[in-house]
Amino acid sequence: MENSSDFMLYRLIQDKDKDALEQLYDRYEKILFSFLLKMTEDRALAEEAMQEVFIKIWRGTGEYDESKGKFTSWLFTMSRNSAIDLIRKRKKPTVPLDEINDMADGDSSVEQKAEWQEQKDQIQTAVERLSAEQQKMIQLFYFKGHTHEAIAEICDLPLGTVKSRIRLALGKLKKSLHGVQEGGAIDD
Amino acid sequence: MTKMNCDHVIDYLNGTFTEEEMREFQLHLNSCEDCRELVEAVGELPYLAEAAEPPAGMKARILANVFDESHQQEPVKEETIKAQEPSIEAAQPAAKPAPKVVPMVKPPKERIWWRPMIAAVLLVSLLGNAYALMQLSDDDGDGGAQTEAAFQSIDLQASESFGGTAKAALVREGDSLEVVVQGEGLQALSGSEVYQIWLLKDGQPIPAGAFEADAGGQGAAFYQLEQNTEEWDTIAITLEPEAGNELPEGEIVLSAGL
Repeated sequence: MENSSDFMLYRLIQDKDKDALEQLYDRYEKILFSFLLKMTEDRALAEEAMQEVFIKIWRGTGEYDESKGKFTSWLFTMSRNSAIDLIRKRKKPTVPLDEINDMADGDSSVEQKAEWQEQKDQIQTAVERLSAEQQKMIQLFYFKGHTHEAIAEICDLPLGTVKSRIRLALGKLKKSLHGVQEGGAIDD
Repeated sequence: MTKMNCDHVIDYLNGTFTEEEMREFQLHLNSCEDCRELVEAVGELPYLAEAAEPPAGMKARILANVFDESHQQEPVKEETIKAQEPSIEAAQPAAKPAPKVVPMVKPPKERIWWRPMIAAVLLVSLLGNAYALMQLSDDDGDGGAQTEAAFQSIDLQASESFGGTAKAALVREGDSLEVVVQGEGLQALSGSEVYQIWLLKDGQPIPAGAFEADAGGQGAAFYQLEQNTEEWDTIAITLEPEAGNELPEGEIVLSAGL
């Protein structure tokens, strides 16, 4: 059980077991770095975010326990927040519009197969079933870490509309992923 | 504090909650399958990333910094960090890249008029424009020994149920830290309520100024911390039932990482 062994490692880390932290690092180094790089588009910044994640884990900031759901969800949320903090501090100009559709760019014939290919195929199929608008919302909100205000500006939408569209997109994603996991049928 | 429900799930994903709010939302998650599934589905998104090769030596650097940090900063569990304690800067990771702030220089003599000017310029320009400050210091910065100040401007993220926006500017200069906040589209206050600003480090807040919203929904505050030795990680604004609280009682309406 990958989950329970993640949790066991985490418990050892709470007891300041350095080997356990190293094991956890090895287990997630590649996916975390890839994810953080996708968010920050900057290798140095991705490394900085990564370091903050492991410092937080080691310090026990924002403790994980099994009631919080999957360990990876918790880990990715924390990593995303670290990346967002750094992105916002960097004060880079807003992403140009043509960057926002590259979320599900899966040319799998050329692309190197990822270690997480199975999960990737599932979530990619789920994302591709969303409308272009919904994919854009997820890209801007989730991966680019833009504030609602920034998204409202980029998309020229009222703030309230942005909020409800993000919710709608995430809700659709949930359903769509559920459909993929259940065997491919689209449930609405 | 309002009861946590499905409306707060995006705030949860964005990490804008205090630990207390986190716990409350956790209770909601335990009882709401819908939100739980949404959080899990979002938790699959990182797998969309294309596999990238980590930089050479990253593991050694990170682990060294993580362990080094814990060595110098114990006990870590309690997280009772006080605002005026001796610097924990030494505990910052050695390999951490330089802070992402805009450095600028200014003549020390100008101190007296310069400081109110910060507030004035920032308020006029809606805090968005570090450039104006740099121009300002260039104009007056000829000759003489110059000290370095650092400027950081931040857009605060509104919680999902809050309509207003705010910007903050932090000016670090030696040991002193100045915080300027300007809000717009703020909801009207009732009774003794105020918008209270907080600086947080590992979830531990100190008050950093308060303001009220005018009839047009605008409000601003200028706050100075004379001996700032803390590396603050978050700025947040709560809607407090009254002014002068040492710890937040109201809900966070706006926040951002620093």
